[in-house]
Amino acid sequence: MQVEQFNYDNKIVRDFGIATVIWGIVGMTVGLLVALQLIWPEVNFGLQYSTFGRIRPLHTNAVIFAFVGNAIFMGAYYSMQRVLKARMFSDLLSKIHFWGWQLIIVAAAITLPLGLTTSHEYAELEWPIDISIAVIWVVFGINMFGTIIKRRERHMYVAVWFYIATFVTVAVLHIVNSIELPVHLFKSYYVYSGVQDALVQWWYGHNAVAFFLTTPFLGLMYYFLPKMANRPVYSYKLSILHFWTLIFLYIWAGPHHLLYSALPNWVQSLGVVFSIMLLAPSWGGMINGLLTLRGAWDKVRTEPILKFMVVALTGYGMATFEGPLLSLKQVNAIAHFTDWIVAHVHIGALGWNGFMTFAILYWLIPRIYRTQLHSKRLANIHFWVGTLGILFYAIPMYWAAVVQGLMWKDFTPEGVLKYPNFLATTLEILPMHMMRALGGALYLSGVILMTYNLIKTVKSGSLLANEPAEAAALEPIKKSEPTAHRRLERKPLMFLVVSLIVILIGGLVEMIPTFTVASNIPKIASVKPYTALELTGRDLYIREGCVNCHSQTVRPFRSETARYGEYSKAGEFVYDHPFLWGSKRTGPDLHRIGGKYPHKWHFDHMLDPTITSPGSIMPPYPWLISQDISYKYLTSKMKAMKNLGVPYSEDEINNALASAESQAQKIAKDLEANDVQVEPNKEIIAMIAYLQRLGTDIKAEPVKEEDANEVAENN
Amino acid sequence: MWKQITNLNGDEIYMIISLLIFLTFFILVAIMLISMKKSFVDYMKDLPLEESERNIDNLPESERI
Repeated sequence: MQVEQFNYDNKIVRDFGIATVIWGIVGMTVGLLVALQLIWPEVNFGLQYSTFGRIRPLHTNAVIFAFVGNAIFMGAYYSMQRVLKARMFSDLLSKIHFWGWQLIIVAAAITLPLGLTTSHEYAELEWPIDISIAVIWVVFGINMFGTIIKRRERHMYVAVWFYIATFVTVAVLHIVNSIELPVHLFKSYYVYSGVQDALVQWWYGHNAVAFFLTTPFLGLMYYFLPKMANRPVYSYKLSILHFWTLIFLYIWAGPHHLLYSALPNWVQSLGVVFSIMLLAPSWGGMINGLLTLRGAWDKVRTEPILKFMVVALTGYGMATFEGPLLSLKQVNAIAHFTDWIVAHVHIGALGWNGFMTFAILYWLIPRIYRTQLHSKRLANIHFWVGTLGILFYAIPMYWAAVVQGLMWKDFTPEGVLKYPNFLATTLEILPMHMMRALGGALYLSGVILMTYNLIKTVKSGSLLANEPAEAAALEPIKKSEPTAHRRLERKPLMFLVVSLIVILIGGLVEMIPTFTVASNIPKIASVKPYTALELTGRDLYIREGCVNCHSQTVRPFRSETARYGEYSKAGEFVYDHPFLWGSKRTGPDLHRIGGKYPHKWHFDHMLDPTITSPGSIMPPYPWLISQDISYKYLTSKMKAMKNLGVPYSEDEINNALASAESQAQKIAKDLEANDVQVEPNKEIIAMIAYLQRLGTDIKAEPVKEEDANEVAENN
Repeated sequence: MWKQITNLNGDEIYMIISLLIFLTFFILVAIMLISMKKSFVDYMKDLPLEESERNIDNLPESERI
């Protein structure tokens, strides 16, 4: 057997490492800023570009795709080369991947504050950026498969399977959830509408967590944890079992984000059942990780790296226990739309993703710089500050969630809502929001300590850009492999196809009937498309990111129908491209806001929310009053909607501008009659038109008895 | 709780088919695992560790690849 000499590429690993640290600090700083805005809205500095609705997506995108994304690539590029015993397939592709990804992040950081968003959570970026993501992702895929094909190790270690599953599933999710019809360079509409759009979005949203925040990190765990503990993984068979069951089950669980919504009942139930089953493989992975440390627990006392890993795994265990718990309808009824969800994702992001990333950085940077970590003591301090940060973040959020969730549902003995004013429940939890911000600040300061420690480490060593290695070349297979899985493990493309089939099953079973069987989305005759002005207002609603704090879906509970009005039906959303149901109620639901208040109330509320709601933490929107409505793309927007199946007549499209202007005149006149002077061409007019239309169509329909029964059943 | 899962007004078929698909898949994976040789599992386990970190080359001569 001939031994070949080659080099591992450490430079690309280092580059992704630097990007991880920089974007981590940026993403977390924006996170701290939005946390402070939930206490003092004036921390937006009075600018539309730094207002909550626009920069909350910036925070989530920066942390998920910039911080965690770069960490995935850093760890995957390091581990893949070593378990496959080969340099990355192409240095050029590595470079294109690196710079392409950073450019995408910069594009996101520019467009999101400008209000250029599609409004799908964690997929807010507009279509040109979506296309760039797909291209760069394929570059990563080619580089990865090229490396796998020229490997010098016959069998693929379990970490590599997790990377393959990540690659193929993220590609499928991203493409399906980004099918949009462009109106112009920075505006597009999703081809799906209402319930179907919601199903696709949460199929994506849930599996972005699964296949961007979980599977690649499990791959990293299976490589780095044995290296750090210097012993092999506890059970290789368990890793195979939990790999296949995890990727199979995850895809089905998306509908648990839409419980009690207008989604067909059977899809919701499937989501619940598969979420509960998901606990098994998730904990299989966690236990496999923790037991890998068997016999090494004495090292956990002294090694900060292992401490980070233990807390990361515990965070994973907690988050994946909470997931199934939250998907139980009874728990979901109270916890959904509250801060519980925020706490839940942060246990995952700060604990599982953050802490594992820090452990890998502390382990890897000294190795590729051929030196020792500058200060173990500082790393220890980072560990404790970070852990405290997580606790200060999560505990007040759980508390706030339970307090607020129960207040929303509280009735007096006389049978009326005890807290009819939504704001009263918000003000109650502000102290908890302050503690959460403190937790975030602690966590961020830990990261800054780490950055200092790593810079010092880098300065004391020099980068081993090309690390020499040697391994025997693979010889052609002479005999057939004894078992099916062994054959599968050495055929990467077949592996890709099998994983693709496994992840497609769940999505197909849930989506095909929801898209094709008419009875799943019952039509309502009185529901009509938005007028030209309302459509314009809806786009402003999307631009300002109102959906980040306000849901548009009233659930069939007495507490919600008493507070907001009739619960939401699937047929009401058929012309909503995209759906705007939201996932968090920092403010009240808006689906039945139409006609609830006079126009002047909305004007005052946008000018300064504390005029109508003293103590409100909603930021003022004075720019809606000063900025002119842009009708430039109105006709093309309506044409696009028509292409997507919204029944606008030729007349409505051709006279769109005139119709918008005449509706705007009426609203301006009404405001004038109430002592508000505003020109009809200001954005506020379109926003009022949209808000006043919301949820009103159904009022023309006769009340059905079965609707009342549905509410009675849930209470 | 069970009422919410089972009371699907005739749409139970989706649930039953889905669970059957999973059961079949799970059994296939289990069969694959049971038929896997210990020597191969030990070999795979040690892959990330350096040569010096491994105890022995676990695969017997005839099985080496």
